[in-house]
Amino acid sequence: MIIRDVICPFCACLCDDLDVHVEEGKVTAVDNACDLGSHKFLTDHRMKGPVRRTASGWQEITLEEAIAETVELLSNAERPLLYGWSSTCGEAQSAGVHLAERVGGVIDATTSVCHGPSILAIQEVGHPGCTLGQVKNRANVVVYWGCNPMHAHPRHLSRYTTYADGFFVRNAFKERKVIVADVRGTDSTNVADEFIRLQPGGDYAVLGALRAIVRGKGDVVPEEVAGVSREQLFRIADLCKSARYGAFFFGMGLTQTAGKYKNVRNAIELVDELSRHTKWTLTPMRGHFNVYGFNEVCTWMTGYPFAVDFARGMAFYNPGETTAVDILARKECDMCLVVASDPAAHFPAEAVEHLGSIPVVQLDPFPNLTTAFSRIQIPVAVSGIDAEGTAYRMDGVPLRLRKVLDRGYPEDAMILKEITRRIADGGGP
Amino acid sequence: MTRLLIKNAYVIDPLNGIRGEVMDIAVKDGWIVESVHDGAEVIDARGCLTLPGGIDSHTHICGTKVNFGRYMMPEDMRAGRTQRRGVMHSTSGYSVPTTYGNSYRYSTMGYTSVLEGAMAPLEARHTHEEFAATPLQDTMANTLFDGNWPVMEAVRDRDVKRAAAIVAWTLAAVKGFAIKLTNPGGSECWGWGKNVKCIHETVPYFEVSPAEIIETLIRANEMLRLPHSVHLHCNNLGVPGNYQCTIGSMDLAPDLNPDRQSLYLTHVQFHAYGGTSWKDICSRAEPVAHAVNRKPQVTIDMGQMMFGKTTTMTADGPMEFNLYRLHHNKWSNHDVELETTSGIIPVYYSKTSVVNCVMWAIGLELALLVASPWQCLLATDNPNGGPFIKYPEIIALLMSRRYREEELRTLAPEALSRITLPSLDRELDWHDIAVMTRAGQARALGIQSIGKGHLAPGAEADIAIYPIRVDETDPSRQFRDVIRAFQKTSWTIKRGRPVARDGEILVEGTNKTVWVKPKVPDQYDMGKDPEFARNFDRYYTVRMSNYPVQELYLQRSLCMESEAQL
Amino acid sequence: MRVILSARPRKNPFIPVEAEGIVPARFLQPAEGITVAVGNRDRPLTDVFEVAIEGTATDAAGVEVVLRGDTSRVKRVGEYMEAGKIRVERDIGMHCGNFMSGGEIEILGNADGWLGREMRGGRILCHGNASHYCGSGYRGEKHGMRGGYLEVKGDAGDFTAEYLAGGEVIIHGNCGDMPGVEMKAGTLTIMGSCSRPCGNMTGGTCTILGTVAGMLPTFRRAGTAMRESGGISLTRFEGDVANRGKGTIFIRDWQYTL
Repeated sequence: MIIRDVICPFCACLCDDLDVHVEEGKVTAVDNACDLGSHKFLTDHRMKGPVRRTASGWQEITLEEAIAETVELLSNAERPLLYGWSSTCGEAQSAGVHLAERVGGVIDATTSVCHGPSILAIQEVGHPGCTLGQVKNRANVVVYWGCNPMHAHPRHLSRYTTYADGFFVRNAFKERKVIVADVRGTDSTNVADEFIRLQPGGDYAVLGALRAIVRGKGDVVPEEVAGVSREQLFRIADLCKSARYGAFFFGMGLTQTAGKYKNVRNAIELVDELSRHTKWTLTPMRGHFNVYGFNEVCTWMTGYPFAVDFARGMAFYNPGETTAVDILARKECDMCLVVASDPAAHFPAEAVEHLGSIPVVQLDPFPNLTTAFSRIQIPVAVSGIDAEGTAYRMDGVPLRLRKVLDRGYPEDAMILKEITRRIADGGGP
Repeated sequence: MTRLLIKNAYVIDPLNGIRGEVMDIAVKDGWIVESVHDGAEVIDARGCLTLPGGIDSHTHICGTKVNFGRYMMPEDMRAGRTQRRGVMHSTSGYSVPTTYGNSYRYSTMGYTSVLEGAMAPLEARHTHEEFAATPLQDTMANTLFDGNWPVMEAVRDRDVKRAAAIVAWTLAAVKGFAIKLTNPGGSECWGWGKNVKCIHETVPYFEVSPAEIIETLIRANEMLRLPHSVHLHCNNLGVPGNYQCTIGSMDLAPDLNPDRQSLYLTHVQFHAYGGTSWKDICSRAEPVAHAVNRKPQVTIDMGQMMFGKTTTMTADGPMEFNLYRLHHNKWSNHDVELETTSGIIPVYYSKTSVVNCVMWAIGLELALLVASPWQCLLATDNPNGGPFIKYPEIIALLMSRRYREEELRTLAPEALSRITLPSLDRELDWHDIAVMTRAGQARALGIQSIGKGHLAPGAEADIAIYPIRVDETDPSRQFRDVIRAFQKTSWTIKRGRPVARDGEILVEGTNKTVWVKPKVPDQYDMGKDPEFARNFDRYYTVRMSNYPVQELYLQRSLCMESEAQL
Repeated sequence: MRVILSARPRKNPFIPVEAEGIVPARFLQPAEGITVAVGNRDRPLTDVFEVAIEGTATDAAGVEVVLRGDTSRVKRVGEYMEAGKIRVERDIGMHCGNFMSGGEIEILGNADGWLGREMRGGRILCHGNASHYCGSGYRGEKHGMRGGYLEVKGDAGDFTAEYLAGGEVIIHGNCGDMPGVEMKAGTLTIMGSCSRPCGNMTGGTCTILGTVAGMLPTFRRAGTAMRESGGISLTRFEGDVANRGKGTIFIRDWQYTL
């Protein structure tokens, strides 16, 4: 059986043209997906059932036991942290926010170690954006800054940019100019018409210089800025100003280098400045397939896109204080619920160290590094494979993930709602 | 199920000709009935003003651009936070509250139905998710067609039926309620950073004008027999001198429907400016109101501006960018492929600004100069003109000349010569207000037939009891009491169940979303049209099979079907 | 009146305490009603602090609150304070002196993040180091600190005085990255060194007596000036040109590389 137009639950490109072959309850082949997406459909490395860590090793427990113990751990905690969320559907994310509100905990998503700075920048200067089809149909200049889409978003170029023909751009490969900015050569810089090679940490200065040039104040710019020649800076500014439609994409090169949100802010202000001359838009290259979905859900429910602290019964937001890494590194939380992510693999050592000293409950289809730190692991269905649900693409377009097979696993949304219900009935903290 | 008896209610029910009578209202299983037997819960309204539940016919509370407004404004969020309490979730936000914030605040004010002002079809799923989290109001979505490529091609080809067919397919697919046009033609231009300046200018490549888009879709709307008319945000919003464009847009509307308007113009305050620049901007509410008075086929809403901080958010991308160029505040933009656009920017309306004072006066002038309250409904284009929590103040301003004079004294003096308001004596009465905040909306949106906006047996039991005695209150003098009363109901009843009492929310709630499905003959079914499907998959970046919004997104679903006359 | 609050030892000293109730004016009423939040639970002040009150006062200006013991995780002390004095004998937690408009706060140890956030008046003196966002604003607001006087004898972290819109901030030691970013008015003085100061500046004055690393390329050199005390020659820059800026930075020594 072939199921068509399946949405890929890997990265935030959210390609929705996959054909998934299913035989006897297993995925046998995937057409149109990139390696990353195919791999997610084809691997089957799942936990069998809920387990609890004891002194003598892992013990198989029932779902009921796992839920009951999680309820107790959350109820007793004075500062529980509910973290992850990016790789599950909106229905689970929404249940997670309700749970965090109910237990007076902190809820945060992988955003805070990824594109959190992009959101902080947007909160300072706004987001001049669009859906990806605008880029595909109109853009004749595309910028990739501080990201390597050939590796992290393999089909981005063929679906939306460099190789994607559109209504007003009939021969994208010939008509589109691609500018890539990075600190070193990559597979993405290799396909660029212009490669801006800058020194590490130099993004803020280079973007500022480009802004000044676009404003007509290029005389202030020195001969070289962070390794980029004045001559190239003027050439890039010119190319951007004379674009019919320019699209700016960016990634960790801006968000995770010194200055973080200030780098992104400078990029946004450059796009704003260019918008006074011609049409430009900007899109963060979100990583996980539904990390933006968490930001959306958390925002309409609490007012804030991530790092929300409910300790006082209402939402408080302050990245740097209410973000997961900071809370863990400062040893503030006394219990952690991890859903659909792997903080042990990605967080700095002192944060992970604290994770090892508090009770951790993990809801995830697959075992990962965080499982080693967990007291309880509850395997759940995979959103987009054996569970339906809503996901938001990197540009905000919401799609409904399909269910292509049934594995008998419970859905995380259901478990989270049940936990919340029991805590509400039992009184909670 | 539930039985409720409201006793001693001072009822104003304009759709049934009741202008102030003390009566009992009987409710059974969520509907108003002739009578209920013993065993009903009794609410004593103590002779207080009892109206059908409020209906907001144009508010921005759910969807992509609203959520953009939220997360780009953490400072707005922290300005209005409440704690979780009982069944109430915690809320945040002042001008762009969270969904629960919106729902509880509307409910506290007695509002039970709302029409979301703008929903891009491609992102409809997002709007419906937020509808589900706005649980105390029934919801409807204005669906944007102003920059829709297949529609513009049909308009270019003068093929009204094809335009109607595309609209029919889209509305049913995304569970929309009505055709919304925001700066028609301008959206597509904004895809290139440009705009249209007048309704006869043509859009590049598609070679259609805003006037053609508006005219074609008005006819398509009536062919599809949709409950609401075309809902139009005119071109040139906010531009001094734009009143000509507004009247020109109204002139495009034929009278095609005996039950309601054929064209609804929204937030007309923003479209009634005279002058040539910010320096000489003045009110042209008079000619605009006179045009409305001459055209029964037109209904407008005020789009009242209220002083203070707020956030603007509309599908008028180029207009929002111009505000950015003017004020240099943080600005967001979101163009939606093949469909429409949007922009968001915070603003501050100040009494020291002559322009803002003129704007404030214009909204009130429209309401006072349009003769029939059925043709001029109360709204602020929430939050563009101001947050909806300010509606009670607007009511008081309309009912009290004294209050208006008090406010006029605090305005920038230079504004006074640019406006007509000081010379307007008219004071609206309770009946007028009931029309402008619910009965008029029900008629304009075509939802009396599903039981909205009135209180006779057969109506849905959406009822608001306001803590004010009409027989003991002179609204002209006691405007502060009027404000207080409309800010907080004694009881808000939704589907026969009390949901709010003195500002306290009593239930979680599950709302109903009303959408339309015009039935078209097979040859007009875009779902079976190979050209439509081919272009869809080629130019959109989502597959046509993934585009429609599944009905499970609606908490409760009410589909208004119609037989299209194609 | 002197109110001495001695922090009791806690089983888990890392759970933060939110103590926005600790402002001098509050102690004009009996201390019994004051609560603090320990994580997600409200507790009486006396659960977390031993309270000793000496003397009386007729108004807030006559009240001095002394914080003793481990107060490094106690947040929001002095929030919205209008008068009186707070003296912290050791380290203080985040958000000390939020929205302060009058009175004095003195910290003998170090201050955690967001010291003096959105201050409007009053004085804060920190003898130790201040962490990130010292003298800054809140996410999304256009203005940060609007008035008052904030002095740190040690070092300060990143984003010191972000969005400065008035008042005076003095850091005796070094600052981290991007001090004075987005500043529009007010005065920032850094006696030590820092990196990438005053990005996007639109107004106000910043003086840096140490060395600037990563000097931003969008500031225009505009002559030299002599600093009165010490007779040090400073170079004057105007900008940020990328942002239509009309601010001024005086720098003793700089390099464009980071």
